[in-house]
This record gives sequence, C-alpha cells and structure tokens, in this order.
Amino acid sequence: MQFKDREKPDQIRISNIVAAKAVADAVRTSLGPKGMDKMILKSDKDVVISNDGATILKHMSVLHPVARMLVDLSAAQDVEAGDGTTTVVVLAGSLLGAAENLLKKGIHPTAIAEALMTTATNATEILESMGKSIEMNDTASLLQAAQTSLSSKVVSQYSSLLAPLAVEAVMALAPPGTTNVDLRDIRVVKKVGGTIEDTKLVPGLVLTQNVSKSANGPTRVEKAKIAMIQFQLSPPKPDMENQVIVNDYHQMDKILKEERAYLLDMVKRIKKTGCNVLLIQKSILRDAVTDLSLHFLSKVKIMVIKNMERDEVDFICKSTGCKPIADIESFTEDKLATAEVVEEINEDGARYVRIGNKIIGSAVTDAPKDIVPRSTSGSTLSGSASPKTVCIVVRGSNESTVSEAERSIHDALCVTRCLVKKPSLICGGGASEIELSVNLRKRALTQLSATAFCMAAFADAIETIPFTLAENAGLNPIRVVTELRNMHAEGYQNAGINVKRGTAVKDMWDPTETHTVVQPLLVSLSAIELASETVRMVLKIDDLVGTR
Amino acid sequence: MAASLLPVKIFADEATEERAENARLSSFVGAIAVGEMIKTTLGPKGMDKVLQSARGGDIQVTNDGATILKSIPVDNPAAKVLIDISKVQDDEVGDGTTSVCVLGAALLEEAEQLTKQKLHPQTICDGYRRASAVALKALEDVAIDNSGDKIKFKKDLLNIARTTLSSKVLAGDREHFASLAVEAVLRLQGSTELERIQILKKPGGRLPDSYLDNGFLLDKKIATNSPKSVTNAKILIANTPMDTDKVKVFGARFRVDSTGKLAELERAEREKMKAKVNKIKEFGITCFINRQLVYNWPEQLMSEAGIMVIEHADFEGVERLSLVTGGEITSSFDHPEMAKLGECELIEEVMIGEDKLIRFSGPKAGQACSIVLRGATQQLLDEAERSLHDALCVLSQTVRSSRTVLGGGCSESLMANAVDNLARETPGKVSMAIESFAKALRQIPTILADNAGLDSSDLVSRLRAMHHSGGDGVYCGLDLDAGEVRDMREIGVTESYKLKRQVVASAAEAAEMILRVDDILRAAPRKRDRH
Repeated sequence: MQFKDREKPDQIRISNIVAAKAVADAVRTSLGPKGMDKMILKSDKDVVISNDGATILKHMSVLHPVARMLVDLSAAQDVEAGDGTTTVVVLAGSLLGAAENLLKKGIHPTAIAEALMTTATNATEILESMGKSIEMNDTASLLQAAQTSLSSKVVSQYSSLLAPLAVEAVMALAPPGTTNVDLRDIRVVKKVGGTIEDTKLVPGLVLTQNVSKSANGPTRVEKAKIAMIQFQLSPPKPDMENQVIVNDYHQMDKILKEERAYLLDMVKRIKKTGCNVLLIQKSILRDAVTDLSLHFLSKVKIMVIKNMERDEVDFICKSTGCKPIADIESFTEDKLATAEVVEEINEDGARYVRIGNKIIGSAVTDAPKDIVPRSTSGSTLSGSASPKTVCIVVRGSNESTVSEAERSIHDALCVTRCLVKKPSLICGGGASEIELSVNLRKRALTQLSATAFCMAAFADAIETIPFTLAENAGLNPIRVVTELRNMHAEGYQNAGINVKRGTAVKDMWDPTETHTVVQPLLVSLSAIELASETVRMVLKIDDLVGTR
Repeated sequence: MAASLLPVKIFADEATEERAENARLSSFVGAIAVGEMIKTTLGPKGMDKVLQSARGGDIQVTNDGATILKSIPVDNPAAKVLIDISKVQDDEVGDGTTSVCVLGAALLEEAEQLTKQKLHPQTICDGYRRASAVALKALEDVAIDNSGDKIKFKKDLLNIARTTLSSKVLAGDREHFASLAVEAVLRLQGSTELERIQILKKPGGRLPDSYLDNGFLLDKKIATNSPKSVTNAKILIANTPMDTDKVKVFGARFRVDSTGKLAELERAEREKMKAKVNKIKEFGITCFINRQLVYNWPEQLMSEAGIMVIEHADFEGVERLSLVTGGEITSSFDHPEMAKLGECELIEEVMIGEDKLIRFSGPKAGQACSIVLRGATQQLLDEAERSLHDALCVLSQTVRSSRTVLGGGCSESLMANAVDNLARETPGKVSMAIESFAKALRQIPTILADNAGLDSSDLVSRLRAMHHSGGDGVYCGLDLDAGEVRDMREIGVTESYKLKRQVVASAAEAAEMILRVDDILRAAPRKRDRH
C-alpha cells in the first residue's frame, strides 16, 4: 500500500514543512527559564525586546503562507491560555518534522493527519489524568504557577514580586464559583521610571491622565465626590455651523461677559451638587475646558482631570460607581461617586492619579509576601465590598523593560486565570511532556497499522520540549532526556528538569524543594490541541494556487 | 485572380479565431487542466489547497471546489464553463462543487479519445444525452424517501451531514458538527433561509469547543450604565442618527450676535434630541438598537429610563436582528402604534474566549440560532465556516426534497452499470459514446480511491463486479478508511438525491455544450488609451 503521488504535491508539502520548521527554530531558543530573548527592530526603527513567543512572531513579517499559520497558532494560544505561546510553536514544528519523516516512509498524509488526531485525543486523556486539582484558596499553588510562567521572562528575577501581584489581581476579581475572569477589568498602567521593584498593585483606580494644574487647581482632594462628565466646560457650540456677528465694540464686551456668565453658571451648578473632582471626556469637536473655566473651577476647589477616552468611561464607571453625565441639566448628586481620596501621585518621575482609600503608613502595598485576604487589605473603593476592577502600575528603567514587564504580567495573569477556568495543575520542567511521551509510546503498541507508527513518532516529537529546555539551559540534552525517561519508566511521574540546579530531579512537586515548577493543565492541553490541529491542516495541503 | 491569393482580412487586429480541431483541442486541454487541478481535493481523503493572493499575500486554505475555482484566474472558455457549473452547483445545492467539475472534465477526456477515433462530436453528444437519461433514471429508482419516519429521517440527515463533512477540514470532529448542523437546520423548520443561522468565528479554543447557541449573538457592546440584562425584552431596531438631527443643507448655519444666543441654540439642540428620545420611549421598549452611533446624551437619557442601548450595530447585524426578533427597522418615531417591535426572552452579555458578546435568547421568530466556531487559526476557522455552510446548504435542501442515495462511489457505479447495459443494447457508433459515459462515471470512485492512496484499478473493478452481481451488491461502495468494498448502508454514507442528480445532469450538459463548439472567436482586447 505504498503511497505515491505526483511530484508537485510532494514538493509543496516539503516546502511547507521547511517553512514551518524555520519559524519554530526562530523562537526555539527562547523557550524555558534559560531561554534567550530576541531583539526585534521594527520598520519604524522601534526596538522590542521580548521572550514571549506570541510577541516575537507577531513582529516577524513572515511571508510564507504556512509560516503565517504558525504565527496565528501562537496568537490563538495567547487568546486561549495566554502562556505557552513559544511551546505551542516549537511543538508544532517538531510534529511537522516527525510528519516529514513519516511521509518519506510512504505513509499517506491523511493517514498521518488522522493518526495525529488519535494521538492528540490520547494525549489529552493522559494529561487530564496527570492533572492535580487544586482549591481556589490554595494561594501557594497559584503563586507557584504564576512564578513558573514568569521564570522564563526577562523579568524573572522579580518573579517573587510579580507573581503575587498577578495572583492577587485575578483573585480579587474571581469570587468563589466564577469560571472566567475578564482580563480587561485589570488595568495595567505602564510608567517609565524607577525599577521593576516599584511595580505594585494600586488599590483603587489609577488614571494615566494628569490633573489640570494650569489654573492652580487642587491636586489632592479628600472625601472626594467624583463626577464623570461627557459635556464640555467651554463656550457654547451647537452642532450646526455657526457664526457670531459682531457689529461694534460694545457687543464684543457683551459676548465676553456672556461667555463668563455661561461658564460661571455651569461651574456653580456643579459645585452645588457637592462635586469636587471632575473627570472630563475627550471631545474632538471642541475644547474640554478653557483657561477661564479652569480658573473658575480652581476657585471653587474642584479638581479637574481631562482627556478621558470614551472607551475608558465604562471602566471608570465600573470601578468608581459613578454614572456618566452627558448634559449639565442632568448633573445631579446621585450620579456622583465617592472616594476617600483622589490624589496625584508623583514618584520617580512618573505621575498618575489615584482614586481610592486613604493609605495609612508609607507604602501602598509592599510586595506582599503572602496574600492578605481582600477584605482586610481594604484597598477597595469605599462603599463596595469587592472591587470590580484592579489596577497595576508597572515601573521600569526604560521603555523596553516596562513593555516586557507588562507582557510578562499579562502572561502571569493569564496563567492564574487558566486556573480559575480549570483549577488543575501539572508539573512543568518537561515532566509532563516526558510522561506524555512515555505513555503515548505504550499506547502506540496497542494501535494498528499506520496509526501505531505515527503515534510512536509523535511521542518522540513531543520530547522536543524537555530536549530544548535542557539545550537552552546549557545541559547535555541527550543525557538529561534519557535520564528523565528512565525515571519515568521507574514510575516517578513528576520527574523533570530542574534548570536552576542543572539536573534532572525525581519530583518537581517535592514540597521540600525551593522550586516547585508547576503550570496550569489548561496551558498544556491547549498547546497540544492547537498544535495538532494546525499540523493536521498543514499536512492536508497539497497545492499552492496563486489567485488574483 | 491575384487578389484572391492575398489573405482576406476579416477580423480586427489581435482578434483571433481557432477552428475545428484546434478549437476542440483547446477546449479539451482547458477543461482537463481544471479537472486535473481540483481532482485531488475530492473525497474524504482529498487534499487541501492554499490559495495565495497576488497582492497582500492573503492566504486561504480550502478543500471547497467552488472556492478554489472562484479564485483562480483562467483564460480558457471551456475551463470557464466548468467553473460556471461549479458555481451554479454551489448556489443550487451548496455541495458537490468538486464532483461536478471533475465529472465534467472526465466526460470531456473520454470525448477526446472518441474524436480521435473519428466519431463526430454530434454523435458523442447524442450518446451522452441518452446515457445521462438512463443514469438519472437509475439514480431515481434507488433513491429512498424517509421523510415519513421522523427518526429515520433524522438519521438520514445526520448521515448526509457526516458524509459531506468527512471530506472537509471538520472530518475529525464530524460527529459533533454533523449533529450541530442537523439541529440548526431542523430549527429552520423547512425554510431554506440560511441567513437565520449565524456563524460566528472566534479564534482560540478547539474545533470540538464549537457549539450551537439557541439565541442570536451580536458582536457589539452594551452602552455604559444601561441595564446589562433585560428579560422579556421589547426591542426597537432603528436606523436613525442619534447624534443630532442636523439640517442637511449645504452651508446651513446659524448667525447670531452673542454667546448667550449660541448657548440657547445649543440648549435647543439638546431639547430636540430629548424630544426624540421621549418619542422613542413612548414605544414602551426595553431595548434600543441603532445601526448608527448613539451619542452620550441620548444614551444617558435612555439608560436612565431603563432602556438597554446598543449602538453601531452594523447593517448586517441590524438586518439579521430584524429577521430574528421579528421587529421592523424603524427610522421615524411619530407613530408608536404602527411600529413592529422585536421581542425576545432575554438579552444578556456573554463571554466567548476573550470577547464579550450580546446574546438574544428566545427570540420571537424562534427559528434562529447561532453557531459559534472555535479553532486555532483564522484559516482553519474560515475553512470550517465554508465546510459547515456546505453541510447546512445540503441539509436544508434535503429537508425540502427528502430523497437520499448512497455515496462512496456507490451511486456512480450503479449509474455506470445501467449505462453499460444501455450501451450493449444500442446498435451503432452511439454505443461507443454511451460506453464512454459509463467510464467517466467510474472516474469518480477511481479518483476517490486514488486520493486515499489505494489501488484504484483493483477496487473499482471489484466494485463493478459487486454491482453487476445484483442483489445487495448494488448497495456497495468504497470504504476509504478500511480500503475495501463495503455495503454503504452499514457505514451510513449517504448523499442527497438532489445533489447527485444535479451533479450528473449539469456535468453532462456542460460537456455537451463544450463538445458542440467548433470555433472559438476571441475579440480583440480593448485598447487602453493613456493620455
């Protein structure tokens, strides 16, 4: 039953596989805690330094259609799990490499594709059986998972600081029983200056906009009553075109006077409701405030923050509990939100506005060593028991560090969210992959015909992950991987590579170890499933047709 | 007399003519080339093609004959005819687009052989016509109608969906998608308005995570502060500017002589909008959906009145919503009693992957539903959508005309045998053409086997023998997974009768049309003047 086909489909298939492997090779070296970073020079001369697979691939301008599919694959993993974006691409590349060898043996591509699917189903079964379910209040495990994710990033030395941040942020938004968290409710604000150590979870709401100070308005307000307005404090301007015709000098005076009166009236009305902090939505049609209105506002001690984006309004309202006000007529007290304090914080060259509770003592939250239950940390806005949003301020000495820190925090957040979605952990450090590969090889023996053959080949292909981990860490990959195989054969299910120590260890989960390397089951599951889906699609291609 | 030796110029410059043998040859070459190209995509083991556009470099990965043929540029009249029949097949039945093209090409390939044996094209046409009549008759005779029995019919539908999907990217999860498609189509209750089934593609997740949602999903956001969920909603679907009712006369402007007056005008504008909102409120609605933007001011007014506001629902969204909820799109609000409001049981926000969508569950026109597709890459999702669309098309057609036939090369083999019998009874040269028709029909199982990497000559001849033996043998087809001849009823490879019929009929017609051509005239390309 030899599979023979015309020349062209074969060439196309090989060229596709070569392209995919090239992409996988490009990100391969950034896998794992000892993985290296890539510097990407964008076309606009901007530099991005990253270790995040999805980010690297996004910025690489690849042309080959199959290479583009791998870029999409990484993006999909980013959406689904948020982490493991490098793993998924490396895995796909390796599976394709295995497929290439199988093709050379004369196995029909659809047979390989089907065998791959059987393998994937078996793999998910094995992974699920390996998963150890955890309780959501088991913060220690959550922290370990977040730390594992951060350990491969540029900011890995700060993982003990950033991991609790991420866990706390997600847990704050996930009351028991929830199965998903909208990461858009976590605002990550980037501010250059200081060091990564200054990164913190800020209680309350953080606004990136600055307080308008040109008229000497207050920059700190206690017992704040906040209003979010969507109209402007500037001379009237109807939507239709208009023209003010001035005939003589007196009329000009009158116009100016009327303008003053108009603005003064608005400010008075605002003041009457007791409002003392004003957030103003950006308008493209007219000035949000004029010097004159700012002057009036500062006289009545109202703090002004302008340039709120329209898509920010939802977030602000959600966090503070105020309601947007679109017209001065409907400016009433019930639409205001209250907060103990609204202040402009100025530190290490960064300015931002914080709305929230008064902070007693010096620091906001000193890198929490262990996580304080939300209710006692009391960092919510007054009035509401559990916060609806969380803010993290990321600091760093330069733009690239801050951006990379932000991406790393995003990954850590995603990992924690994965655990909210599916509270189950498996071992990292290549342990799960080796176990998978060992088990798949066993199961391959029960299969028949091409499936058995392909399954064994794919089992080998999965070993590329621990192999690469060891290689990137400067270890002898052959020795480490075979050592691990032995351990797994002896029944040490959790044996993996301890990259820090540079050896294979029998139990990645050993509580006496300082470094337990664990990752959410969902990350591994989705990596296997997404990679095999993409590989199947690539295998089924036999022609490249140019179109208009 | 000397003048007659000079070539007489009849055509304009650059206009060309191909005659008789040349014309026929160029038709054959073109049609066969197209058939050759897409024949590898036929069947459950068919391969996919990457379509790469010349500009932009956009890529599509597809197995769908119609999509491939639509995208390739051709400059051969016969090839164009084949592409056209594939398009028609796509519009009429939705699936079998590859089969029709491959069968057409096979018929022409056979015809080429016959013309070499000095058969006149008209004789071939005659033979093809007789053969296709017999083939269709044979097909009709074996078609089964199970529409009377609900359980059996549903099983038929599932089988059809599974057979259609088995040749697509969804093959791996065909059970899941087959039941998904059948359920969606049954909800339509016999209507073929596939627009009521909305297919949403969301990257992330896996194909088996795709699901059928009983409600209608809209990829928009609910306005700030308006209620995020509404039960027993009364929906007004509008297409009206909610920024300001501007006087749309060019150059219209206010002329005033003081700021105070300007302020009054501004106030007046606001009041006008408020009046409009009040009018809308009089409809007694709990949800307001506008195709255009809703600005802050009206948004706030409506939110205060407890009305859910959804802005900027695009054209398609609005039209579908109107179809689904049974409401009419309204643009003037003077007569609340005349407007038809949409209704649905619950409107709420749901989260799919990373995105928040709005779900309208339990709509009034209950037939609507949404299918949410999840998958690793955009290409995969696009292809999954095309595959699912094909399945839905075929199913909705089958609900209408419920007869089914067996697939896996069984029907083709059956027809070929009937045609063979006819050939034996027919005296004269025509019988050769009839025989060729049978050969062309057998090309389909041959290609199916070839694509699966099986020994096609062996399998197809065994299939023919089985059919010839009669009895239960006529239910035999190719089981491509096991690589053997099997009773198709056992593994449930079923296809719609209408689809098969259409494939044979239009392929035969197209072949005949191309055969009758003996002259190709090409108009001179239009000159482009550059000034």
